[in-house]
Amino acid sequence: MSVETRRNFGTVRVPAGLNGLLPALILIMLFFVVPVLALLLRSVTEPEPGLQNYAALLGDGTYARVFFNTFLVAALVTIVTVLVAFPVAWMLAIMPSGLASIIFGIIILSMWTNLLTRTYAWMVLLQRTGVINRTLMTIGVIDQPLPLINNLTGVTIGMVYIMLPFMILPLVGTLRAIDPMTLRAASLCGASPFQAFRRILLPLSLPGVAAGGLMVFVMSLGYFVTPALLGGTSNMMLAEMIAQMVQSLLNWGLGSAAAFILLVVTMALYALQLRLAGARRMSGGI
Amino acid sequence: MLLDYDRMGGLRVALLGFTALVAGFLLLPVVFIVLLSFGSSRWLAFPPPGWTLKWYQELFADPAWLDAALTSARIATMTAILAVAIGLLASFALVRGRFAGREILRGLLLTPMVLPIVVFAIAIYAFFLRLGLGGTTIGFVIAHTVLALPFAIIPIATALEGFDKSIEDAAIVCGASPLEARLRITLPSIRIGIFSAAIFSFLASWDEVVVAIFMASPSLQTLPVKIWGSLRSDLSPVIAAASSLLVGLTLALMLVTALLQRKFRT
Repeated sequence: MSVETRRNFGTVRVPAGLNGLLPALILIMLFFVVPVLALLLRSVTEPEPGLQNYAALLGDGTYARVFFNTFLVAALVTIVTVLVAFPVAWMLAIMPSGLASIIFGIIILSMWTNLLTRTYAWMVLLQRTGVINRTLMTIGVIDQPLPLINNLTGVTIGMVYIMLPFMILPLVGTLRAIDPMTLRAASLCGASPFQAFRRILLPLSLPGVAAGGLMVFVMSLGYFVTPALLGGTSNMMLAEMIAQMVQSLLNWGLGSAAAFILLVVTMALYALQLRLAGARRMSGGI
Repeated sequence: MLLDYDRMGGLRVALLGFTALVAGFLLLPVVFIVLLSFGSSRWLAFPPPGWTLKWYQELFADPAWLDAALTSARIATMTAILAVAIGLLASFALVRGRFAGREILRGLLLTPMVLPIVVFAIAIYAFFLRLGLGGTTIGFVIAHTVLALPFAIIPIATALEGFDKSIEDAAIVCGASPLEARLRITLPSIRIGIFSAAIFSFLASWDEVVVAIFMASPSLQTLPVKIWGSLRSDLSPVIAAASSLLVGLTLALMLVTALLQRKFRT
């Protein structure tokens, strides 16, 4: 076999390997990079050239509230998700594999179930006359139905539900990688379980928690479907506002500017997360 | 002994109890929706006053639902085929190529996974309006392939990294052409990755709502768009019936995945 044929199939270490990337690069450049750049251009040219769209977005109290609310919801969702996911991932990392595979099965089932299906279920469960309110009233915890939907509570429950698998699954890997002997050593040296948790288990799992938490935060920032269906009008999030500006108000200039702000914040946080997680691990090891 | 399952004492009981609660929380909407779809109350009272199949009858009586499901299946299948083909070629280059800027190119190809979907949705919507591709099947397939590509590249590239290239080289030394060695040795060895890529990219399109909401036209609606429209107008139990069928499909996919993985591993 000649060097030439090997080169064509990229089996030797020459840039010829780039051939395989061509279809993917053409697709991404033409239908991802160009449309996004065109959108960015619109944000500074419509209705007239200039930065007035950005000035309007950053100077107006109504928009400021949407930005604030978006960060608030994303932060709240991240904190609750981390707190709920940690104990579950901890157990999954050490429990017998039979039991663990049942829990993993439930996690995958929830994750793979259609997003709208899950959101629809929460809409019905959380409504005024829904199962949760009725159950709480029957057992006498409350007299009046709680407002669980079209507000912050509804969005938080729905979003945490969606984000949990994304936090639990990578965290199991982090926790499994910790050598149990370090904890045995701590206990032999007289550390109480609480001390061992605070001084050893928690610090060792912190990179995984931070990377996963940041990923959940970034995903929550740009989320559209669940906030649109479970949230209220008073706590609209950025993605929904962008969709409304473009779809209902046909204000492409303002919508593009808001989209670009979301893009910049997301990408900056994503870069931070890559550094935290180590670029190779987070992109699936490639 | 915080990482020793057999010596955790009371802590284990507490953590297991909490884990069971979370598992119940994750299972609740899925089980609830299936039960609800058989309940006879139009107002979604639960537990339902009686059981019925009428929501399924209503679902199948409305050609718009079936139409939307077939549209989704068609678009998702084409997306999966394209994403796996393009992803396979790209993965070989990313894993084996040694060229400057490889990391940057990899990052670029995976970006659609992290960019907020609403940003991409309005960008591609505006772009396709100009090209005349809005509301067309080909437009849907292109947009979904962009979104599905990272989900195809990641499992294939991971499988390829785990594959010992010297086996492929051995086949070449034994007289196989490089293409033959790839097709007959390497591809079968990384089939788990290819199979996962196919499932993930199919699901990426099948479940995709946001781009679809913008791109859909009255004559071309995917299933998520149809559900979205119904959700915004009322919470009819027909949606529960449609949702239950989707849950059934998810379970079938999980079962096939588990069976194939077992088969591939042995």
